[in-house]
Amino acid sequence: MDWYLREVIILNNIGKSYVTGSQKLQVLKGLTCNIKEGEMVAIMGSSGSGKSTLLNILGLLDSFDSGEYILSGESMAGLNERAAAKFRSKLLGFVFQSFNLIGFKTALENVALPLYYQSIPRKKRNIIALDYLKKVGLEDWASHLPNQMSGGQKQRVAIARALVAKPKVILADEPTGALDSVTSSDVMKLLREINADGITMIIVTHEHDIAALCDRTIHLVDGLIDLS
Amino acid sequence: MFNRDTWLEIANTVLSNPMRTFLTGLSIALGVFILVVMQGLGFGLQNGVQNQFSDDAVNSIWVDAGRTQLAYRGNMPNRQVKMRNSDMDAMFQQMDTVHAYSRRVRIWGVVMEHEDQQSNFPLRGVDPDHLMLENTTLTDGRYISSRDVDEETKVAVLGATVVEDLYEGVNPIGTYLLIGGVQFRVVGTFDDPASRWENKMAYLPFTTAQSIFRSSDKVDQMILGTGDMPVASTILLSDALLSWFKDRKVVHPDDERGVRIENNNEEYERYQNIFLGIELFIWGLGLLTLLAGAVGVANILAIAVKERTKEIGVRKALGASSISVLGLVVQESLALMIVSGSAGLITGVGLLEVVSPMIDHDYFKNPQVDFRIALVALGILAVVGVVSGLGPALRAVRIKPVEALRDE
Ligand SMILES: Nc1ncnc2c1ncn2[C@@H]1O[C@H](COP(=O)(O)OP(=O)(O)OP(=O)(O)O)[C@@H](O)[C@H]1O
Ligand SMILES: [Mg+2]
Repeated sequence: MDWYLREVIILNNIGKSYVTGSQKLQVLKGLTCNIKEGEMVAIMGSSGSGKSTLLNILGLLDSFDSGEYILSGESMAGLNERAAAKFRSKLLGFVFQSFNLIGFKTALENVALPLYYQSIPRKKRNIIALDYLKKVGLEDWASHLPNQMSGGQKQRVAIARALVAKPKVILADEPTGALDSVTSSDVMKLLREINADGITMIIVTHEHDIAALCDRTIHLVDGLIDLS
Repeated sequence: MFNRDTWLEIANTVLSNPMRTFLTGLSIALGVFILVVMQGLGFGLQNGVQNQFSDDAVNSIWVDAGRTQLAYRGNMPNRQVKMRNSDMDAMFQQMDTVHAYSRRVRIWGVVMEHEDQQSNFPLRGVDPDHLMLENTTLTDGRYISSRDVDEETKVAVLGATVVEDLYEGVNPIGTYLLIGGVQFRVVGTFDDPASRWENKMAYLPFTTAQSIFRSSDKVDQMILGTGDMPVASTILLSDALLSWFKDRKVVHPDDERGVRIENNNEEYERYQNIFLGIELFIWGLGLLTLLAGAVGVANILAIAVKERTKEIGVRKALGASSISVLGLVVQESLALMIVSGSAGLITGVGLLEVVSPMIDHDYFKNPQVDFRIALVALGILAVVGVVSGLGPALRAVRIKPVEALRDE
């Protein structure tokens, strides 16, 4: 498995602070790390240590103040909104703790949405979306609305949605945070299978069981990576 | 911009909150409905008023002769002043331009016969411009021509009541009618909706009427059209004509009866202003209703955008560009506006269509909406739709996915 490893994400001395009123909070203080293609990495750390902040920066949902971020060989410094949207659409998939499915769209429509933003024709994107629903074992639920599904099912729809545009990297912020332990391990099994297909997986979690299922764990302490 | 996918997307979001959509749609539809109905009512009022005053709605100066009040230059009071053909000719020589004119003689109760039908009607001898000056509407054939007047032809134009009484459904054009025992050819018919009195009349060429039914060269009345003369000039003209006539007919300058000149230009202008006022009022009201609707829509859209903050954040995380987010809101607003606006438009026009035939009041006639006005309303609606969608849409564009997605 090690033969094709190369860096898909390179972070060099990333700094990020939030300014609220007159207060300035330095969340990331020069963070450096690399993630190789096909790796499955867990990010852990105490609450407020900056895990979500890091993931949002990796996901181009938030900007960073200093340092260097190279995603799939391209620098992500000073991107405008448009370019960020394009990279997100091309390279990244998201899974959230609270699923973030669109409530008035069916499972199939939710999964197909990223393809809509890639201007793929309706017929074609529905076929692709159904394929991915099949992959997460929910093809029979294609026409159901999110509120007719269980938490585990919703998260699997969200995972199918993250996969549908064939991203290089999937970013998951506490994907099992709202699920019970049995469902959590099902979801983790699914994520592992997806990772086995070569998609890089970055999972924020504060559960050691979950982290243990990953290739390695990055510990965030006080805005820096704890190497101990 | 509007492909099938966009429509489905709009339909999806619009139908996802049916109550909100319904209320927004209702407020727009109501606004347009009120605009259309107000326009219709306004037109009805205008039509009615215009019709009611159409006799006086031609700017003109009327010259009449009567009995004197005052003794003057050796003449006793109570003398009947008579206008004659020579007076008319002299008057025209006094004037620089004559926009339109008609002399008039009036004969009461003349026997008119067609086949075995006969009845008494008044008749009038007139000049060709009388058609315009009296605001007569021809229903068939032609009016008195200048050749008729020059050659004293024996032709007649009949009012609707005369036709009804003497012809019983037969087309009178081209037939011969005995008027006071003399044979006339009928060349036209007319209907003057503002005056039932006028409809009982037969019009003959002025010269013919004067020589057959009046053995003198007396003229009863003179009408001068003032065309596009400014009101102030028409007042100068009528004052000048009055003193000229009084001098010529030896009438005391302070006498109010011997020669009378009526200038309806001031009145005419007043009516024109009233019509203009009604029109401005209707448009003002309509635009205000639309404006209120637009503010309502902008408000509801702003709330909708706020409610959908998270959804918009998710869409952005999934690759939605700013343009597509902007389009989502603006197109939704536009679609809402056009669909519900058209509903209001159709209901309003439909209501007027149904109600219109039932209403026939003296001051209220034919309350219909012009097709062009409906189109203008739709155009305004589209512009308003885009403008009122733009504010909330820009707010949606500024939503940052991180902030939208934060789990609280
Ligand atoms: N938009 C913001 N404005 C100001 N402060 C912020 C903002 N976002 C995050 N922070 C602060 O930055 C710090 C790191 O937040 P972050 O959400 O990354 O923590 P986390 O590691 O994900 O914590 P948790 O485990 O509770 O999710 C916190 O102190 C938080 O209050
Ligand atoms: Mg977090």
